[in-house]
Amino acid sequence: MEIYLPIAEQSINIFILLGLGGAAGLLAGMFGVGGGFLATPLLIFVGIPPAVAVASQANQVVANSISSLQVQWRRGNVDLRMGLILLFGGMLGSSGGVTLFTYLKRIGQIDFVIAVLYVVMLSAIGTLMLAESLRSWLKAKRHPEAPRGKLHTHYLVHRLPLKMRFYKSKLYISALLPLGLGFLIGMLSAILGVGGGFVLVPAMIYLLGMPTGVVIGTSNFQILFVAANVTFLQAVTNGTVDVVLALLLILGGVVGAPIGARLAARLPGVVLRGLMAVLVLGVAVELLAELLRTPLSPYSLGIREVMP
Amino acid sequence: MRVGTLVLGSMLVLSLVLGLGLATQAQAPRPELPQSPALAAPPEAATPNLLVDLSQPRVSITSAFQGESLLLFGMFDPPGEIVVVVAGPPAREQVMRKERFLGLWLNTGRQLFDDVPAYYYIAASQPVQRLLARGAGGEILSLEDRLASVQSVGERRTAGELASFRDGLVGVKRNEGLYPAAFGQVTIQGGRLFRAELPFPSRLPEGVYDVRTYLLRDGKIVAAVSRPLPVGKVGFNADLAGWSRHDGAFYGIGAIAMALFVGWVGGALMRRL
Repeated sequence: MEIYLPIAEQSINIFILLGLGGAAGLLAGMFGVGGGFLATPLLIFVGIPPAVAVASQANQVVANSISSLQVQWRRGNVDLRMGLILLFGGMLGSSGGVTLFTYLKRIGQIDFVIAVLYVVMLSAIGTLMLAESLRSWLKAKRHPEAPRGKLHTHYLVHRLPLKMRFYKSKLYISALLPLGLGFLIGMLSAILGVGGGFVLVPAMIYLLGMPTGVVIGTSNFQILFVAANVTFLQAVTNGTVDVVLALLLILGGVVGAPIGARLAARLPGVVLRGLMAVLVLGVAVELLAELLRTPLSPYSLGIREVMP
Repeated sequence: MRVGTLVLGSMLVLSLVLGLGLATQAQAPRPELPQSPALAAPPEAATPNLLVDLSQPRVSITSAFQGESLLLFGMFDPPGEIVVVVAGPPAREQVMRKERFLGLWLNTGRQLFDDVPAYYYIAASQPVQRLLARGAGGEILSLEDRLASVQSVGERRTAGELASFRDGLVGVKRNEGLYPAAFGQVTIQGGRLFRAELPFPSRLPEGVYDVRTYLLRDGKIVAAVSRPLPVGKVGFNADLAGWSRHDGAFYGIGAIAMALFVGWVGGALMRRL
C-alpha cells in the first residue's frame, strides 16, 4: 500500500516505513538507544531526500524518548542535575547544528556531509563496542568472578575546572565535561537526525564514568528536549519535517520497542553489545560503499526555486 | 488498468456527443483562450474549430497519489494533424555534478538554470519530427529546443560544459518521469475526434501546468487552444504542506505534540500488553 508523503513529495510503501520504525524500536528496546542511527541511513537508501529523512527522524526521536523516559523517570533513573547540564550544551549544539545544516544544504553538500559523518561515527563506535564486548567476554571466560575495581578510571579530563557534585551519579567532575558532551550530541542530532544515544550512552559510561543504572534515563532526558528543539528549528528554517513519515516511523517503533526489550531480557549483555557493534559496523560499511561506488549518474538536482 | 479503460471509454462517448452537438450547431461557443504572448498573433478570421477538454480539471495530490494518467480529448475541423504540448511551471533548477575526490564521490560542480519547465511532454498524431520539420518549429518546441533556450545563471562555463550539465538535468528529470522520453500518441478517430493520454509521475511538482493543443495543416498552426491544468496537493496533505511552508513554528510545535502524544500513549499501551 502506497502513501504520499506531503513534505518528501513522493509516494512510498507504508509497510517499508512501519518496518523501519519497528526495526528502530526493536533496537531501542534491546539496547536502550534510539535506533535513529540505523533508521536515517535506511530512509535515505529507500529514496527519502536526506534533508527530510534527518528532520523527520528527529521528530520520531521525540516519541521514542518520551516513551522510554516514562519508565526511567518513574524508577528514579534520571540524574536531573547531570541531565540539565547536558541539555544546556545540547540546546546550544543543536541550534548551531541546524544553522550549519541549512548552510550545507544551500551549498549542496549536506548529503555528503551526512554520509561521511555517519561513516566516521559508526565505524568508531562500532569498533570500540566490539573491542569492549570481546574483552569483557574473554575476561568473563577467564575469571568468572573478577573483583570490581574502582568505580571508574581517572583521565586527564577529570582535571578540568568548574567541578560539581552529581550525587545520583556518585561523581565529582567538571561541569564542562557534560556541557561539551551535550553540545557535541546536540550538533550530531541536528545534522544526522539521531537522538545521539549511541554516542551519548558509551560516553557517559566510559568518559564521564556514570553508573550504568542512571545512564539510560539521563540520556533519554537530554535527548527528548534536544530532539524537540531540532524538530522545531528544522520545521522553522528548512520546512523539512514530514509528520506523516514521522508518524509511521513512530507507530512502527511503538510496536517494536517492547519486543526488543523482551529479547534483551533473554540475551546476556555481552552478546547483546557484540550484536549491536556488528550492526553498527554493517551500516557504516554500507554507507562507505555508497560513497565509493560510481554513481549511476553523476548529476543530481538541488533546490528548485519557482520563478515568479 | 481496467478503471483507466472505463474512464477512457466514457470520455470517448462524451466527446462523441460533444462532437455531434457541435456538428448540428454551426456557431458553437469557443472555449476561452488565455492569450499568452506566444499565441499573440490572432488566427485568421476563418479559424477552424478546435475544442479540447481533459478528463479531470486538475491533478489532485492526495495521500493515495501514485502518479496519474489524464485523458485529453477533443474535436477539430478536418483536415489536419494534432500536437499536444504539456509544460510544467518554470523554475530555477540547481544541477549538481559529482566527481571522485580522494576516492569518494561528492558534488564538486554546480550550475543554475533559469526557466526550466518542471514537466514537459509532447504528443502528436504523426511523428513529431515530421510535423515540426514542416515549419511549425518556431512555436512548438521539442524538449531539446525548449531546453536550448534555458538560461544558465552564475558561473561562466564553456558551451560544452553547459551542454553536459543540461544533459544531466534532462537525465535526472527523465528518471523521475517528468520528461517522458518518448513522444506520446494522439489518436484521431472518425477524422475529427482525437484523444491523447498524459502521463504524470508520482514525484510531480505543484503549480499550474500549461496544456496546449495545436491544429496543424501543411505544417502551419491554424488553431491553438491553451488550457491551464492546476496540479496540487488537496485535503490534509495540502494543509500540512501549507503549514510547513508558511507557518513553520506552528507546524513544528504540532509535530512535537504529535510525537509526544503518540510516544506516551503508545508506550503506555504496549507495556500493558
